[in-house]
Amino acid sequence: MLKIASTRSCDVLIIGAGGAGLRCAARILEKRPHSSIVAVTKVGHAQKSHTSTAQGGLAAVDPADAADDPIFHMFDTWKGSDCTADQNVVRKICEAAWEEITWLESRGMHFSRDPDGRLSKRTFGGHTVNFGEASAYRAVFESDRTGKGIMDTAWGEALKQNTRFINQSIAVELLFNGKSCVGAVIFLLHAGELIRIFAKATVLATGGSGQVFQITTNCRQNTGDGLALALLSGLSIMDPEAVQFHPTGIVGPGILASETLRSVGGILRNKDLEPFMEKYAPKMKELAPRDLVARAMENEIRQGKGAYSRDHAVEHVWIDLRHLPEAVHKTQIPEVTSFFKRYVNIDPQKELCPVRPSCHYHMGGIPTNARGQVQDNQNHIVDGLFAIGECAAASFHGFNRLGTNSILELITMGKFAADHILKQLDGSCPDTADPGASAAIERFEGYRKATGSENSGQIKSTLRKVMTEHLSVFRTETGILQALQALAQLQEQTRNIAIREKALPMNPELLMRWELDNLLCLATIIAQAALQRQESRGAHYRDDFPQRREAFNHHTLVSMNSAGEVQFSQRAVDMSIFEAGNENYEKFGLIQRTY
Amino acid sequence: MKKNKTYSLTLKIHRFDPQTKAAGRRSYRVEAGGVQRFVDLFREINSTQDPTLAWNSSCEHGQCGSCSIRINGKPLLACELLVETAVREFKTTTFTIDPIEVAPVVRDLAVDIATAYEKLNRVKPYIIDPLPVSDSKPHTIAPQHLQKYIEATRCINCFCCACACISSHHRFLGPNAMLAAIIRLMDPRENNKQQRLAVLYSDEGVSRCHTSRACSRVCPKQIDVAHFIALAKAGAVHEP
Repeated sequence: MLKIASTRSCDVLIIGAGGAGLRCAARILEKRPHSSIVAVTKVGHAQKSHTSTAQGGLAAVDPADAADDPIFHMFDTWKGSDCTADQNVVRKICEAAWEEITWLESRGMHFSRDPDGRLSKRTFGGHTVNFGEASAYRAVFESDRTGKGIMDTAWGEALKQNTRFINQSIAVELLFNGKSCVGAVIFLLHAGELIRIFAKATVLATGGSGQVFQITTNCRQNTGDGLALALLSGLSIMDPEAVQFHPTGIVGPGILASETLRSVGGILRNKDLEPFMEKYAPKMKELAPRDLVARAMENEIRQGKGAYSRDHAVEHVWIDLRHLPEAVHKTQIPEVTSFFKRYVNIDPQKELCPVRPSCHYHMGGIPTNARGQVQDNQNHIVDGLFAIGECAAASFHGFNRLGTNSILELITMGKFAADHILKQLDGSCPDTADPGASAAIERFEGYRKATGSENSGQIKSTLRKVMTEHLSVFRTETGILQALQALAQLQEQTRNIAIREKALPMNPELLMRWELDNLLCLATIIAQAALQRQESRGAHYRDDFPQRREAFNHHTLVSMNSAGEVQFSQRAVDMSIFEAGNENYEKFGLIQRTY
Repeated sequence: MKKNKTYSLTLKIHRFDPQTKAAGRRSYRVEAGGVQRFVDLFREINSTQDPTLAWNSSCEHGQCGSCSIRINGKPLLACELLVETAVREFKTTTFTIDPIEVAPVVRDLAVDIATAYEKLNRVKPYIIDPLPVSDSKPHTIAPQHLQKYIEATRCINCFCCACACISSHHRFLGPNAMLAAIIRLMDPRENNKQQRLAVLYSDEGVSRCHTSRACSRVCPKQIDVAHFIALAKAGAVHEP
């Protein structure tokens, strides 16, 4: 029988030890060196976090760059978000960006350098100067592994200053005293034990939820745990329907095949080898914006023109690179070429390469203000609880995230949350009197007692197929309703999952069972939110409502009652830059997202 | 398309039960496509044959180093090994699969990798004493200088090198830890080179290396680890 094996307390409990969580830890410890910080991570070690996989770069306006200005970065972010980012957050992050670059550099991140030894910069889609006039060279980077640079640096600093790590462990319940969060119950997977940790501040930094979809660039651990935990605690999720898909994920591992493939002349073809982009974008063809290309690809598949990968049981289209000169393969796309060789054993110089839009990023998440403080469904601050990184929605990205803005958000929000937490650390630790039985015990014992012949892995796999079929780049009322019906049926099936191995230590079945509940919960709110938003906005595209509609100029807030019923409320989009009426304010109105 | 071949594989997988401490090997027959990866096979075993099999992975595209295992004795990343590659390289369809021997096994193929990291932590994988910045401007580092050690910074701490290393001395901190120390010795932003030199040239350091170059041969990131260790042995990784 599970029980709470021990109770401890600390100043700050950080759940999720990726870039955001550890930036937060490092900041607190720099300012208040003897704080006790506990960082819990689901993976074997913090350095294995998903932050490490980010490739391209980190957007930040260099004050030494006369051509660029934070106001341009703000505009690009606002436009990219399809007018659904919160302008107070956009301003705060864009203005603080360069200071974070300086911090990372001084703490040892190995940025790529120009011939003069200064930080190299490159341009990325949607980043411009003078409000769309020309491309901006705004992204600093560490080769094609910028996220790894951030992760190594944040981990190193957190380690140096004595953060206490609890590896391979999950947060299964948030603890409240009245309406204030006072810590969490943690399941130590190795030991198979529950412990209770009280903290003056609890920070959710659990990352993304990409495993909800069949094709995803996200790691195996990104099962939306923090979001499910928030829902379970009666809190809400903001804009869950805002999920970004990258057009060319490599079928199988889901790794991104960069946009460069199309810019150097790669051609998308269906199973009949027809170059289909000219039907959808006669002028731009393969160079049309990401979302348009992704929709064209899915449309081909929907019309039965997809090829089929038997090994990965998924339909896809092809990208044809065979006609490109050898020099292009060797000098312009060598990394992506090596990905195809390594992961699908295909030589892009001789063979067609299988690609499909791949779930890449969740703009939606646990709603917070610009300091990372979590808000409830009435938009009131939940004391003691913070959320940062991909699991949170402040919202910097609105309904569509620009490339290079995600890892910028991680580190800046990590720091902002830390700065606010620092003000709260001088009080005493929350009351550690026995708060009664933990609901987590009942939940996990329920998993162990269940009988039947269902298997978590198979249900998960069906769930992901359903979501990819009905809730990826194309959404229709009919499709979403079918998905919801399928999800309800899968939910029923979960009752009949028997756990074969009853022992608690390092039990992969228990973990998978718990993750499946999180995925189901999240898939359901994504689908419900997509159903009620009868418009198209950013990455949320409704085939039956292809235009953005004024009636939906707000954030969606979704919560679940104890019966599992979904409830909606709203949060207004912050338009403080527009409302301030300063120079160029009109650029921050409800503008069209056209490029 | 050529990729239609199926392979009938036998996977003899190491099992370990942490409660009874019973260890052994269990065979699984798997019908696999050529471009399935070993992580896909483990997932399939969990879904269709045995949900109790424990194995580690995270990013599953060679960037986090969580899925290091030994296949027919060779340490590698399970996310990068395709079935058809394995059949070609190992010239067999029977594979013995074991955890990497650098940390205690928690269950089956899953090891407590944090224990292996303790050796890395001894070399302080961060800047101990950062060179101060002026006017909040980043430092300048000549690309030619960066070029000397940038390859080493690609290390993902998968510990495949530590697993393959033939240095029999248990005090050796391991090839990846040496890399981490060497990077910061070559990094102009580190003020405290003395502390680093002390560890690198201690009896836990490079002198324990037998120069077999096994580390370079198995590195999934193709880093020439042995090259950096050789530089350190020659005293060529820091300005006197």
